Amino acid sequence: MGQKKERVILLGNLENAVRKVGTRLADMRPIRNIRNWGITFSLWPVPLTTACCGAEFAATMSPRFDMERLGVLPMASSRQTNVLIIEGTLTRKMAKAVKIIYRQMPEPKFVIAMGSCAADGGIFWNSYNIVRPKDVLPVDVFIPGCPPRPEAVIRAIMQLQDKIKRKLKYRMDAKERPRKRTRRQRVSRVV
Amino acid sequence: MRVKELGKDRRAETITLFIGPQHPGSGHLRLVVELDGDVVVGIRPDIGWVHRGVEKIAETKKFVQVIPLIERPSIIDSANMNVGYVRAVEKLLGVEVPDRARYIRTILCELNRIASHLYGIGIFGNMIGTSTIFMWSFGDREIIVELMQELTGARLTYSFFLPGGVKGDLPDGFEEKLEKGLRYIENRIPEYNALFIENPVTEDRLKGVGVIDREKAVEIGLTGPNLRASGVEYDARMAGEYGAYKDLGFKPVTRPEGDSFARLMLRFDEIEGSIGLIRKAIREMPQGPIMHERTKGMARQVLMKVPEGEAFSRVECGRGELTFFVVSKGGDKPHRVRMVTPSFRNLIGFETALVGHRLADVPTVYGSLDYFPPEADR
Repeated sequence: MGQKKERVILLGNLENAVRKVGTRLADMRPIRNIRNWGITFSLWPVPLTTACCGAEFAATMSPRFDMERLGVLPMASSRQTNVLIIEGTLTRKMAKAVKIIYRQMPEPKFVIAMGSCAADGGIFWNSYNIVRPKDVLPVDVFIPGCPPRPEAVIRAIMQLQDKIKRKLKYRMDAKERPRKRTRRQRVSRVV
Repeated sequence: MRVKELGKDRRAETITLFIGPQHPGSGHLRLVVELDGDVVVGIRPDIGWVHRGVEKIAETKKFVQVIPLIERPSIIDSANMNVGYVRAVEKLLGVEVPDRARYIRTILCELNRIASHLYGIGIFGNMIGTSTIFMWSFGDREIIVELMQELTGARLTYSFFLPGGVKGDLPDGFEEKLEKGLRYIENRIPEYNALFIENPVTEDRLKGVGVIDREKAVEIGLTGPNLRASGVEYDARMAGEYGAYKDLGFKPVTRPEGDSFARLMLRFDEIEGSIGLIRKAIREMPQGPIMHERTKGMARQVLMKVPEGEAFSRVECGRGELTFFVVSKGGDKPHRVRMVTPSFRNLIGFETALVGHRLADVPTVYGSLDYFPPEADR
């Protein structure tokens, strides 16, 4: 019985220690730079044509503008993606679905709000049924325009890449992130 | 194997599957599909994911300010939406459009129809797994979009038609560029034929899938290419209420089969028809003013007060018949704007076309109906 207890303590400590060391290492200069460089060229958006800006987003995917040369490739399932592009107005009904989609995406993840509607309502500013995406999700880049031209979409992607290269620090998944425990909880786990 | 044979519980005979709202289609729509094994026994579309309240917002804006607003629901087909609203306001004002303006309207509407059909074909190709067609048609669409940009100054949202006429005349040298673009699209259609349409994979997936016969199509009230693919010769352009279609001798194309393949082919037919109409319009275009005297100038447009009354207009969009009903109480803002969009009317086609088919046919029918959710939800 006593042995078992010790083992649990040791394992727990080891796991935490490895995680801490891994986080530190991944955030140190050479590894972080290499990792961020890799992420910049594999930004995979989820196809979320919330409104009419989707027409211009589709045009950005088409041969003339060809976003794939920047490493942007739309994936069918939200589990395989790391960029959420809100293409236009977000309605009340859709905002709930967008939250679910955002939660399903693996870390690290980014949000681009496309179009005036996604920025602050645009032409639908006085509608009874729209939501400002910045109230729902942490938006990284806004694209102005109604609808924005494909060139503007490409510029937003390049800005996001810049942002990732310079700033991004390692964030563990929400589940994995160690929470602050009260003393009582800590004790109960050890016992 | 049927679920019935697997499970003892009778209640487990059918399962309900939720498709969407996030799916790689053209917007948000949830299909609640009732399945027996993988055979669809019932389907119920759940809409309203893109409802932005266009009709209500229109009551808070001036008559001219409503034009950009009503373009937004169907942004890939904005010229046709625009002409519908503008026709209703013109009827309220009692203004006749000059001949040259009618011809320019026809040219832009038909160009937009080609772009809209190419968009629909591209999304359709993407849905049934041939992403080559998505790339091809979106690449070709750019040529039409560039032409419209040259004419109006915008890629998608033109707001080019105002009550009483159009904003501008054709730019210098536009006819040659237009002819060049149209010739390119015309020469591309045989290539689509060779790669996509005469492909045995496409024929197997589309022929006989999602059949809506003539009587049923009329009964449930389909519109546009979906109706004409069921063999009904009806097109809002036939009435000649707007544009120069009466002078150009417009005749709609129909196909008798009523399946997904016919609906796809009808879009290619209409592209060819539109090219013919544009060429004829350029040839027969008269000289003259492009705006009615009473509505000339931006000040008159903005300060415009529309006399009390009601007006109804009917135009043919890329996806079908669009109707507008505008009520004015004599002020500078509309009292009520009601629009019935073609996608909303085609939505019911899902319920008819899909029952009895496999689950794998859902994207086929979705793409072939060319359903555009922002347009249906308004």
